Amino acid sequence: MKTDDLIRALAADPSPQVPVTHRLWRRLALSLAASVALLGLAFGYRADLGAALLTPAPALRLALALAIFGAGLRISLDLARPGGTVRGRSWPLLSLAGGAGLLVAWALAVTPPSDWSAAVLGSTPAACLFGIVALSILPVAALLLALRHGATGNPSRLGAMAGLTGSAAAAAVYVLHCTEDSPLFYIVWSGLAMALVTAASARIGARLLRW
Amino acid sequence: MTVGMTDKDDDWAPLLKAGMGGDPQAYAAFLRKVTPVIRGIVLSRGRNLGDAACEDVVQEVLLAIHLKRHTWDISSPLRPWVYAITRYKVVDAFRARGRRIDLPIDSFTDDLAADPAPDPMQAADMHKMIGLLDGRSAEVVRRIGLEGYTVAETGKHLSMTEGAVRVALHRTFKRLSALRARHLE
Repeated sequence: MKTDDLIRALAADPSPQVPVTHRLWRRLALSLAASVALLGLAFGYRADLGAALLTPAPALRLALALAIFGAGLRISLDLARPGGTVRGRSWPLLSLAGGAGLLVAWALAVTPPSDWSAAVLGSTPAACLFGIVALSILPVAALLLALRHGATGNPSRLGAMAGLTGSAAAAAVYVLHCTEDSPLFYIVWSGLAMALVTAASARIGARLLRW
Repeated sequence: MTVGMTDKDDDWAPLLKAGMGGDPQAYAAFLRKVTPVIRGIVLSRGRNLGDAACEDVVQEVLLAIHLKRHTWDISSPLRPWVYAITRYKVVDAFRARGRRIDLPIDSFTDDLAADPAPDPMQAADMHKMIGLLDGRSAEVVRRIGLEGYTVAETGKHLSMTEGAVRVALHRTFKRLSALRARHLE
């Protein structure tokens, strides 16, 4: 087929162009609503839910997860465009990681060393780890499927970013259940869960986000 | 990269904008204007693959531009977007073909030179891919692309509505793109 013929055929196809964001918002909202509902069914919501959101420790935990979600979403949308890069856009995410590190350092400083391991282990580490991984599945799937309509230059990096974004959303949802609001506990276990999901999503993205 | 210096930078954007607004002539003009620039990039990267294989890659890039044109942010410059798509598809295509073409062709050049040179604008793979489509999809692309019929005429001939022809055409491009990706893997 000649290139001119291809161009003529392409010009005859005025298919509507739906921006990636249009596909994303609906799926993301649905997946998050489903995750919140699943959490209620599988784990139940914390009894102090209303009050907790006004208490510094749980409010900070929720804010940290939501901030990572927002920053990751922003970078994901940039990476999904041809020519999009993380350069100059990664500082919100890096400062959030730095903030989480400072939070851990502060918690270690105010906790006597003999109590460190008890504080890190808490009482429900496995539930936190697997709960967040499980709650990540829907939002990460929603992100990956919507970002497939983009055109990224780096599928595995975008996959990783989708994993981080979706698992941060899951960590925020999990706050509605889990009352262990010590940074030593939740930064370690949510962080580990998010790292696992990010790594898995990078592998999936490397295949799924090619175009 | 010096390609495209003859074109003014702001030449392309209004055409694509008009094209995305539903003006097929402007859209075709945009595609015709970017084609030589894409061809220049492809040839500079893969001259040794031969002209026909390079033209295949050019067509792959055009198909990608078509299917991903919604990812161009109208407020941002168009050229970097076109280059990014070209770079991605060129790297992808040459990586895949590099794996496939592993013969030391140089030692056969004298024999190969006897073959009739292919029309440089003619790409072999796309033809093969269209052959893999089901009858109706292939017919729609052939009539509109090769024979130059309009969507309306094609619809009348195949007793399909214009909308159905458009949908078939769009599906066909998506399918072609997927087929090529699989074919090259």
